[in-house]
Amino acid sequence: MANIEIELEVNGRQEQVSVEPGKTLLHLLRENLGLTGAKDGCRSGDCGACVVIVDGRSVNSCMVLAPQAEGSSVMTVEGLAQGDELHPLQRAFAENWAFQCGFCTPGMLASCYALLEFNDNPTRDEIRAAIAGNFCRCTGYQAVVKAVEQAATELRVLKGGSRNA
Amino acid sequence: MKFPEFITATSLDQGLEIKRERGTEARVIAGGTDLILKMRDKVLSPSVLIDLRRASLDGVTLSGEYLGLGASLSVSGVIENADIAQMFPALAAACKEFAGPPIRNRATLAGNIVNASPAADLVPPMIAYDADIVLRSSAGERILPLAEFFVGPGQSVIEPDEILTEIRLPLTSAATAATFIKLGQRRSMTISQVNLATRLSLDEQGKVSTARIVLGAVAPVPMRAVAAEAMLTGEELSEELLGAAARKAREEAMPISDFRASRAYRLQMTEVLVRRALARIAHQGAG
Repeated sequence: MANIEIELEVNGRQEQVSVEPGKTLLHLLRENLGLTGAKDGCRSGDCGACVVIVDGRSVNSCMVLAPQAEGSSVMTVEGLAQGDELHPLQRAFAENWAFQCGFCTPGMLASCYALLEFNDNPTRDEIRAAIAGNFCRCTGYQAVVKAVEQAATELRVLKGGSRNA
Repeated sequence: MKFPEFITATSLDQGLEIKRERGTEARVIAGGTDLILKMRDKVLSPSVLIDLRRASLDGVTLSGEYLGLGASLSVSGVIENADIAQMFPALAAACKEFAGPPIRNRATLAGNIVNASPAADLVPPMIAYDADIVLRSSAGERILPLAEFFVGPGQSVIEPDEILTEIRLPLTSAATAATFIKLGQRRSMTISQVNLATRLSLDEQGKVSTARIVLGAVAPVPMRAVAAEAMLTGEELSEELLGAAARKAREEAMPISDFRASRAYRLQMTEVLVRRALARIAHQGAG
């Protein structure tokens, strides 16, 4: 079947790509746009390695067909840093050793970023609930929880609206 | 692999017209979290996909008799809706235990119904609340109790030209005492070994006027344990009665053994969890 044209915004840039209609958003990002941060893990929405943010919400990009993403605003792990300046969440992951092999990290970061957009002061239980769809098979989750707590504190200070920082 | 034509419908009518012309060849894609897997595994091979996300079917509307949930409403959308949380908390509770956040952000209530999995988590609470569903075709619409929708695993009474457009939760069951329990191998990202919802209403004399016990993953379709419900109806609640109803529900269940759980375990857990669910809402004070 002929390719179809998809327009969408990715990390703040308007993109137009020509894809087979059965292609997933994950493979559109990786193969058409060269954004290989989101990982191709289970391809069935179970592992969370492919999680990106679509219109403000965390989603498994392996479970979105490219034409379903038409007109959407997508943010991937590549959209977090400002040039060489890591996002506070990324820095907190590094400082707290919140990854080992790193395969789950882009998806973890996307889920945690989406959490902090909705909730700038999450409890540990809320953080655990937010990453319930992201599997890590080497480091475990404690360090991720610590990293998100640290990033949340930092981001509240940056926003100046701090209540508990 | 030949991939289906993909049509982003701008209205429900356009979607219904495609269904009229193409029948079972055309599938509605909502969240896609089940459908994409079924296409890849060749369980389903539609030639057309109809995306209705621009057809404005994701609303929550209060009418005189029911709360209407649009077919495109996501599982997260249910969790975030204050009316649903207040009026139908057992449904909101099931949504919170459904998969994980990235799936909840895509998957829809209607998809969980149409997929017709015997283990669907959101179906038992909706049946417990006596939900109706609206099935539309280009010729008109019909309204059906959700409990009568399922035929077998992956099979339902939906006609080739029909689209499920709305779920209606009757206000008569709003804020009555109800609960949902899910048993799986993990707390998240797991398909239920057993799931169930129970609901009780009491009359002025403190006797049960309505009892619903709805079991999932223990039969080819989500099922009401009608004999257990009948034992409770008209009676005063007691420890003994709840235990007897739970044993009756176990007798009614007809689970299979599979890689998630054995038949014996599912039967045992049906009794334990029905008793636990009934005790929980009896304790809350049935409404």
